[in-house]
Amino acid sequence: MLLNLKKMVQTLSIINIQIIYFSPIFKLLCALKLDMESDWGSTKFVVEQFSKWYRNNAKTIPAPTEIKLREFAFLTFEGRTMFRHISFKDEVVLHRYLIDNAPANSYHSSSYYKHPDYDMNEKGWIGADLVFDIDADHFNLPCQTEHDKWLCRNCGKTGVGKPPELCECGKAQFQTETWLCEKCLQAAKNETQKLLDILIQDFGFTTKNDLVVNFSGNRGYHVHVRNKNVRYFDQSSRREIVDYILGTGIKPEYIGFNPKGHGGRSILGDEGWRGRVGKALYDFVDDSSSETIKSLNLSRTLTQNLINKKSEFLIALQNNHPSFILKKFAGRDEERIITDLDTILKIAIKQQSADIDTVVTTDIHRLIRLPNTLHGKTGWQTQTINPENISDYDPFTNAIVFKGEEVKLFVRWAPKIRIGDTTYGEYNEEKVTLPLAVAIFLLCKKGARVIN
Amino acid sequence: MLERDAAKYPFLKEAVRLVDALNIQLNDLADPSFSKILDRATERVTEAIIEGVVEAKLEDYMTELLSYPVASMLVSLKGDSFLDRRYALAEAVRIYFLLMKEDSKTLFDIAINEFNWDLQNTKENYDGQTYPFKLFFNNYLHSSSIFHEDKWKLVNRILKNGYVLLQQNEVARLIQGEVEMLIRERVSNRVNFDLPSPIKLKLEEISKIFEENRRKIGAEDLPLEVIREAFPPCMTYCLEGLLSGRRASHMERFALTSFLINVGMPIESIVDLYVSVTDFDEALTRYQIEHIAGLKGNKTRYTPPLCDTLRTHGICRNKDEICERIKHPLNYYRIKAKRVIASQPKENGTNIINN
Ligand code: SF4
Ligand SMILES: [Zn+2]
Ligand SMILES: [Zn+2]
Repeated sequence: MLLNLKKMVQTLSIINIQIIYFSPIFKLLCALKLDMESDWGSTKFVVEQFSKWYRNNAKTIPAPTEIKLREFAFLTFEGRTMFRHISFKDEVVLHRYLIDNAPANSYHSSSYYKHPDYDMNEKGWIGADLVFDIDADHFNLPCQTEHDKWLCRNCGKTGVGKPPELCECGKAQFQTETWLCEKCLQAAKNETQKLLDILIQDFGFTTKNDLVVNFSGNRGYHVHVRNKNVRYFDQSSRREIVDYILGTGIKPEYIGFNPKGHGGRSILGDEGWRGRVGKALYDFVDDSSSETIKSLNLSRTLTQNLINKKSEFLIALQNNHPSFILKKFAGRDEERIITDLDTILKIAIKQQSADIDTVVTTDIHRLIRLPNTLHGKTGWQTQTINPENISDYDPFTNAIVFKGEEVKLFVRWAPKIRIGDTTYGEYNEEKVTLPLAVAIFLLCKKGARVIN
Repeated sequence: MLERDAAKYPFLKEAVRLVDALNIQLNDLADPSFSKILDRATERVTEAIIEGVVEAKLEDYMTELLSYPVASMLVSLKGDSFLDRRYALAEAVRIYFLLMKEDSKTLFDIAINEFNWDLQNTKENYDGQTYPFKLFFNNYLHSSSIFHEDKWKLVNRILKNGYVLLQQNEVARLIQGEVEMLIRERVSNRVNFDLPSPIKLKLEEISKIFEENRRKIGAEDLPLEVIREAFPPCMTYCLEGLLSGRRASHMERFALTSFLINVGMPIESIVDLYVSVTDFDEALTRYQIEHIAGLKGNKTRYTPPLCDTLRTHGICRNKDEICERIKHPLNYYRIKAKRVIASQPKENGTNIINN
């Protein structure tokens, strides 16, 4: 049924757009619009704008370091195939390519190859930058229900937010439509700042020499570590670093929480995970209501102590070693202490770790967005930003590069979005005239089409 | 360098130079005057097989020194990757015990001259313990990469400004790790040439002892049938996920597929499994599975990822008591399969996935 309808829409739209528009099945077809990318987005218009931008700005795009050893890859707006295994001998050739092709999306390898233009097996891997991807897509945020939707391709069911693991019909074939808002980009920025703190304080990388931070142009940030020392890391070393950043595998006894411990000082002032866990624990206990603490199902002794002797506990955390705290507040049952610790630490670790994508960092053949090119799903710029000023960085202003005339659009649906100082939308099946920057964003998100 | 030191640490560059200078040829080893060396070399390998550690016999240090390269050659000739690992570990443990008795200067010498470590003195105090050393995290990650205890995970160490704090015995242990990798690499270089008969005899002796101990040291092969009950929790999770149609990540699918291939599930059955529960394209699925099985592409047969890797990607779930003892899902399977087989009478032993 669904398939037939889809076919029908395609044939009909070629014959006469009016027929669909006023026909009784119009409402039904609207539900299927998610499925019909080709109708929305006015590709030709967007390509023209991208071309124009690249003609004027390609020369400002710096090549990645050691350009000769990198593989490049590109996606166009029309096709689904990726043009890859491309190499450039210098910046000039790269710029020419960008001007001639105005790609929808541009990537380069985080890896260095002897022959970046050969097939995968013959490339001759030399090394790879250490890259981190922070993407709000992976987070669970309340705002997602305001701007993300899904459609089950099997039964046609739709919903808001993230699709479930399985649809009610038993399949997991979803088509999704994802937008963004200030909340998700702020969340992504917070994670990026936590990541930078860990990379700088614990690993000793410097913003001056080693770290390159990019706004992805859509829902996240990328951090590249370009440093001779990390370049030759194999997957297992990269995995250890991922585990470190996510706090995966932390055992309480190695960060001081050992009921048999020899004592020592408070961990609150310590560096690394010790201090982080200490601070998170402090804040958690300080901020939690007795209901929250009860809901954790800790041992009776510990629960009572955390509620009735809260300030004593916090003072002890500031002044004493965790082993002392365990002895004083957690009761005698050592096994119970360990499980309670696991419960509490999980919360503390989640709060302090940086939510990076595990696959991206451990993959040593990764293609990653070429900084300062355009992102085909937003029309925004993938921007290199100064890590020192990341807290002031505003993607809704800084990453917007299209300036100019107003464009008339028919918008099928778009959530509220701020561009610069103005907020637009939400729009629902309406004609609007919008500044080019906003128009490009809605078109790239496939939420509108240009009308005359 | 003193010969005695060279005998203790025959992997050191200077020790290797010393041995090279003697220019001993393969045929020399067949000479009765070398029989002591050949005997000790054989003993090193059998000690590794049986005891899991090579004893340090330093009285006759020339024999001790010269028997090391011969022992490595014997292991390499035997050509069994399990023995490679067992021998490398046994030699490395011998070195660990010796290093424990050395002063910190010797540790520094080896760490810096042999392995180019950035190792420095420091004086830090945590949990009432003093840490006199700090090691650059790159070097740490490399040398600790073959340890799998929680204690060695970077996240459980004190990492400050790029350096990992260490105690003296931990430095010795990390050097052990480095040595183990060095020897592993060396013996896994397969050699093949005509052997003089005394060496051939020694090799046969080693083979015999290895076969006798195979079971005991856990080098036996996987069972021939696929035993569903013996799957580790992570693979059960992946399989059940697949069967229920849950969206699976690439990593999950890769882990499951390579696991199924390695426990001996026929490719046909794996293809059927995927095609029946999802709407994967059959030809593409088959291609990918054959690629993992090493029939396509670069012809390497993939093994499932280590537990550590599965944990990183959130696939390690519902760990049980066997999980505490292993680092690889196939080892879990090996141990559990043995139990399942032992606990079941032959008649109803049909826990085979056959669709
Ligand atoms: S410990 Fe290893 S075998 Fe056990 S569930 Fe985790 S990944 Fe699987
Ligand atoms: Zn459905
Ligand atoms: Zn949002």
